[in-house]
Amino acid sequence: MTRSFTSAATVDDALAALSGGARPVAGGTDLVVGARQGKAPLPDAIVAIDRIPGFRVIDVSDHGLRLGTLVTHGDIVASEEIRTRYAALADASAIVGSHATRAQGTIGGNVMNGSPAMDTGGPLLCFGAAATLRSASGERSIGLDELWTGPGSTSARSDELLVAIDVPAPADGTGSCYVRLEYRRQMEIAVVGATVVVTVDGDRVVDARVAITALTPTIRRVPDAESALVGTDGAGDAIEAASAAAAAASTPISDVRGSAEYRRAMAAVIANRAITAALTRARGGSVPIPASPALHGAS
Amino acid sequence: MATVETAPAGFVRQDGKEKVTGTGRYTADLTFTGMAHAKFRYADHSHAKILKIDTSKAKALPGVVAVLTQDDLPDVRYGGFVQDRYLFARNTVRFEGEIVAGVVGVTEEIAAEAARLIEVEYEPLPVVTDFVAAMEPGATLIHPDLPSYDKDENIVADGNTMAYHTIVKGDAETAMAGADVVVKSHYVSDASQGVPIEPRAVVAQWQGDKVTIWSSTQVPYAARAGVAQTLQVPEANVRVVVPLLGGGFGAKCDLHFEGQVAALARAAQRPVRLVLSREEEFTIIAQRREGIAMDFETGVTRDGRLVARRAKLVLDKGAYCGEGGFLGQMAAMHACGPYQIDHISVEAFLNYTNNQPSGSVRAPTAPQVCWGLEQHMDEVAAAIGMDPVDLRRRTLIEEGAEGPTRQVFDKVGVRDTLERAVEMIGYGRELPDDEAIGVAVGWWPCMPAPSGAYVQMNGDGSATIVTGAQENGSGAVMAMPIFVGQELGIDPNDVSILYQDTDVAPWDMGSCGSQTTFNSGRAILAAAQEVREQLLEAAAEQLEADRDDLELAGGVARVKGSPDRSVAITDLVGEIGTVHGKGSGEVLDAPTGDTGGCVGRLGNETFLAPQLITQAAHVKVDRATGVVRVLKVAAAHDSGRILNRAGADGQVLGGVVMGVGLALSEGTMLDDQGRQRNPHLLDYKLLTCSDTPEIEVDWIEYDSVGPRGTKGVGEPPQVPTAGAIANAISKVIGRHVRRLPMTPERVWEAARG
Repeated sequence: MTRSFTSAATVDDALAALSGGARPVAGGTDLVVGARQGKAPLPDAIVAIDRIPGFRVIDVSDHGLRLGTLVTHGDIVASEEIRTRYAALADASAIVGSHATRAQGTIGGNVMNGSPAMDTGGPLLCFGAAATLRSASGERSIGLDELWTGPGSTSARSDELLVAIDVPAPADGTGSCYVRLEYRRQMEIAVVGATVVVTVDGDRVVDARVAITALTPTIRRVPDAESALVGTDGAGDAIEAASAAAAAASTPISDVRGSAEYRRAMAAVIANRAITAALTRARGGSVPIPASPALHGAS
Repeated sequence: MATVETAPAGFVRQDGKEKVTGTGRYTADLTFTGMAHAKFRYADHSHAKILKIDTSKAKALPGVVAVLTQDDLPDVRYGGFVQDRYLFARNTVRFEGEIVAGVVGVTEEIAAEAARLIEVEYEPLPVVTDFVAAMEPGATLIHPDLPSYDKDENIVADGNTMAYHTIVKGDAETAMAGADVVVKSHYVSDASQGVPIEPRAVVAQWQGDKVTIWSSTQVPYAARAGVAQTLQVPEANVRVVVPLLGGGFGAKCDLHFEGQVAALARAAQRPVRLVLSREEEFTIIAQRREGIAMDFETGVTRDGRLVARRAKLVLDKGAYCGEGGFLGQMAAMHACGPYQIDHISVEAFLNYTNNQPSGSVRAPTAPQVCWGLEQHMDEVAAAIGMDPVDLRRRTLIEEGAEGPTRQVFDKVGVRDTLERAVEMIGYGRELPDDEAIGVAVGWWPCMPAPSGAYVQMNGDGSATIVTGAQENGSGAVMAMPIFVGQELGIDPNDVSILYQDTDVAPWDMGSCGSQTTFNSGRAILAAAQEVREQLLEAAAEQLEADRDDLELAGGVARVKGSPDRSVAITDLVGEIGTVHGKGSGEVLDAPTGDTGGCVGRLGNETFLAPQLITQAAHVKVDRATGVVRVLKVAAAHDSGRILNRAGADGQVLGGVVMGVGLALSEGTMLDDQGRQRNPHLLDYKLLTCSDTPEIEVDWIEYDSVGPRGTKGVGEPPQVPTAGAIANAISKVIGRHVRRLPMTPERVWEAARG
């Protein structure tokens, strides 16, 4: 058995290693922890991409947001532009794992891990993000809904490296929020999560995107919830209907983190809170980042 | 009231710097020339007969230097109260973490591969994981040979019930029939874990017939005795040394792997090291907090007199006894609590199952039973329309009151702790409707035990303590220089400690039972007093003064009131030559009472120097999700005189944090084969720093029979926390949560009704 660990100095080094069968590692917060837990053994060949220059860059323009693959959750939370314009993403990155996870874990690793419980997945999906995958033979862009194919699996080829995530600029009048059911305040993994991105024009909701986390095999949007909001003035009955749609779209499992019945019930509760908070932000009101603890009875 | 001297300003615990700066060496940090690595092969079934073990492939793997099964070892079973277990499984496996074989490889990877290559044929047996169903007629027996096992003479065993206990006072049945109101409650606690930050590690090295074992244990002398017994070697040939210990919380009590690693090192003819993974730390240690099913029934008068208490407790012993044979009796005492009750009949069943074995974890049985009983007490108060704090005011023990076995109490401060806790928390004030305050009261005994120590003066006026006491991180041993400093009039920072080595110090029970200050402190005081006498005698001669007029202070012996007439302790030591003392002190007797009607008397039927606690919790409940946030805990404790306030406060802060975790988020989940479903820190949810509430601590100080008026400190802080939180939750949601831990889903279910 030959095992190898190489550190790529350039993206071409990394792509060559991937072509040779190596798997990439950046922060290592999924790969290493998973191996220690016995979830999956470490790959025989690993290429570290954490030193490739230019990958840890946040670029915000009028066209949108580009996140280099090595941008950490800590970087995202610290970005004033993201906190202002993509608040749901900041809500999510601010509650991933622990302080250590957020300092070490990268957005690229998070996305490519393909977990149905990943916190940043719902916000990226609702903002319409696309992944840029590069291989020795070229580059392509793919929507995240096409990237995630099942729990822990993606449609990326093994020789492709995620180099950046592009997020379009939200329309004026947009507010967003990600809320997660939290048993404790750190070291938590999503049991139920909901993301809402709404655009208002005056009192009317003109666009709405709702996604649920940890409730379906991949993170997915809930069209029924979205249509329950669009065209309304975002009052209580519309929020109730959208929340009920989110719960109805859930196909949760029962496991050590909660029963299916509880998760489905919580889907409505958490969606309700996320919608309310996103509308508040869209209308210029203030909800702290991260929203989750504040919406959870925490003082 | 005499004031007690406490830790002087500037006192520094000696192991603090190395622990905080990372220079300290723990067992897993030790390496030796030629050292090899141990791995275990675990059971493939939770309950099965072993038909055949084939180690040939493992032995043939290059780099494997030893493979052992029980066939290679003496036919000796071990266990504290019931001798029911072999070092390696013999004929039968009884839980998922049972060790079938041990392997030594030149690397950890080779050892792990060899452990996988061992082939074991089994005949699966029915798995008994429900600890209540375990005592039903016809249940599969975990230990069919239990009647023939060696056991403590007071153990009453039957079927899967390893030990049966009763606490009896008067005639509960008749009294219950005459009560104004009778309240019945049922509560169930899941098992939980100690989770020390340092997983266990053991290193063994033989030289000739003698073995030195470095182990992360709380009980080095018990480990030594266990190795001697299971390997059939003299205790004199076994030396157990504990490097710095990275926490224990009881989970590192008892013989644990020292025997297997010593046997493997002997077979390998090399030093051998075992380091557990976090998952092994959950699944293979025979030491977790037990699950308990509790039924309480209390008869009360309308004005709040407790006329009768009946209770039935069923405890999950798991597969083996270990040191936990007393758990049922301890639980029975906690089903009475520190209350005055006219008539009592409590019975406890400690049942074998195919689950992980239970053992002492910080105040074993008390937090779970207190969680159930204190909710029951609130239910009793509600049934007679009385405020729950008022009911406790009328019923808690006090000086001269009778305990559950007619033990008559000395001065105890439990009522003071109640008043102080409700004062600190602001009981009775207006709160938002999703917040409430709950109160719970608990107790915990001091364990009388022998101990011994030496104290020697050094030429420069410093001193060294040699003690068998074990420091588990609580700081109990680290506080011993305060005693010596006071006795000898020297700075406690000039007193060093030699400890945690069975070859150098007298026997000690170890870091368990809140006993270190209570017993080892007594021994060290006695040893220091011998030194003091020698110094004063020499000083009396030098100063030509009456010895009774002399005192030791500031590094000198001097005539009281005439500080000019003094002689330096260094001069006295030079004069005398060698100055050393030894001491044990007198072991205290357990209090007498009327225990004649009690079955299964293992020594807990009365409580020596009880430590008493009231905690009040202010919580906020998110009714829609069941998520509970604890905002503040006020803790008022009677632990006798407090020797080291910073250290004692630290024990309460840590205990309350453990208590909040036990209350809300911890808890071991099992599948239908008794296998743990959450043996890792992602889903065994300890409290994080961000979740910790504000904790306010105060002490009620009365003199106790312990050294300098002290009692134990370390275990009680966890006892009433979950009960106080539970009572607060029930006030918000209008119903009691009857299952521990009170997870969001369980609170949500209870709130729905």
